[in-house]
Amino acid sequence: MDILKGNFKTKKTVEAPNDEDADDLETRFERDALKRLGGSIAFVSKKRVEWDLDEK
Amino acid sequence: MTEKAPPSTDRRAEHGSLARELVAQMGDFTWHRVGEMVIDNFERNLPKLTSGQSLAKLRDVSVGQGDGAIILAAGPSIHRQKPLEKILAAGFKGALIATESSMAYCLRNDVVPDLVVTTDPHSDRIVRWFGDPDLTSEKLAQDDYFRRQDMDEKFADEIKTNELLLDKVNTHGKDIKIALATTSSQAVVDRVLDSGMQIFWWSPLVDDPDLPNSRSRDMFKRCRMPAMNAGGNVGAAAWMMADAVLGKKHVALTGIDFGYYGDTPYRNTQYYHEALDLVGEDRLDEVYIHIYNPYLETWFYTDPAYAWYREIFLEMVQDADCETYNCTEGGILFGDGIHFVSLDSFLTDHA
Repeated sequence: MDILKGNFKTKKTVEAPNDEDADDLETRFERDALKRLGGSIAFVSKKRVEWDLDEK
Repeated sequence: MTEKAPPSTDRRAEHGSLARELVAQMGDFTWHRVGEMVIDNFERNLPKLTSGQSLAKLRDVSVGQGDGAIILAAGPSIHRQKPLEKILAAGFKGALIATESSMAYCLRNDVVPDLVVTTDPHSDRIVRWFGDPDLTSEKLAQDDYFRRQDMDEKFADEIKTNELLLDKVNTHGKDIKIALATTSSQAVVDRVLDSGMQIFWWSPLVDDPDLPNSRSRDMFKRCRMPAMNAGGNVGAAAWMMADAVLGKKHVALTGIDFGYYGDTPYRNTQYYHEALDLVGEDRLDEVYIHIYNPYLETWFYTDPAYAWYREIFLEMVQDADCETYNCTEGGILFGDGIHFVSLDSFLTDHA
C-alpha cells in the first residue's frame, strides 16, 4: 500500500469509509433483525375489551 | 455443516442472556414488525366490514354449552398430546375455541370448532391456515416458515395439505363462526368471505385508548367495532375471547406451549433465521432461554417472542374473571393464576 500512497491524484475527492459508517451498517442490520423478532400483535397492559370508546 | 442443537442438560440454565434483554423490548419490536401492516390492513378492510357483525353480537349467540371452554392452539404439544382425541372421547359440550392455526387440525378430525380466532396481520402466512388459493411452488421456495417448524406436522407436505384445507374450509366455512380482526390481511379476509364463514369483527388494541391521539380509539371511531387486548398472539386472544367476551368461567388451554421441547433443533424454531442474522450460528444459545417445567420435570426452551407471550399471559391472568387451566401438558406457561393440570383431569371435572 505504501508504494501506491500519494503517487497519483484522483479526479474526484474520495472519502474512505470510516469506522462510524461501518458501525452504522452493522447497527442497521442488527436493528432490522431485531424488528423481525417481534410478536404477532400488540399487547396493552391492564386492558381487556373496550366495547365503546366514545366516552374516552 | 452440523446443525446447531440446544446445549446439554447441565449447561442449559447458563444460556439466554441476550434473549432476556430482548424480552423487555418486545413491545417495541412487535410494533416495528406489524405496525405498518396493521394500519394498511385496517384501511383496506374498512369497506368490507359491512359483511358480518360486530364482536358485540357474539355475546348474544350460544357458543358451546355451560361455563367451560377449551382453547385449541397449534403449539408443538398438539401432535404429541393429541388433545382432540381426549376431548371427543370425553364428550365435551363446552365451547371449543380454535386459533386459526389449529383449525386445520380440527377439520382434519371432522371437528368444527364453536369459534375460530385470528389476529396476526401478516400478509401471506396466516392465510395458509385457511388454505391459500394462491399458493404456488415459487411462493413456497421463498418461505420455509411452515415446513421448518415443529407445529402441525401435516404442514410439512405443503401443497397437498393446502389443497385438502382449501376443500375442508370451503365445505365447512358456512358452519364456522370466526372472530376476525379488522387488521387481518387482505388474503385472510377475502378467504373468510369467500368460504362463507360467519364473521364477528373486532379490532386488536394497538395502544392505550386512554392516551391522547390513541390509534386504538381512532380505529374504533372509524369502524365502531369493539377493541380487545390480543395479548401479543392469537392463543392469548382466544383465551381473552373465552373470558371477557363469552364469559366462560373455566377455560382450559391446549397447544399453548410458548416454547419448544428440549430436543428440538434451533432450526425448527419460529425465528431461527432472524436469530441467525442477529448473532450468527456460534452465539445462538444466547437467543434462547431454557426453562425447567417442574410440573412435568422436563426442560423446554423458548425464544424472546414466546418468552414475552408468557410474561404477558401471566400478567393478564391476574385480571381474569375465569379460572384458567393449562392442559397443554408441555411448554413453559405456568405460574400464579394458572392451574397446570392434565386435560383428562379438566375433562373429568368440566366435560
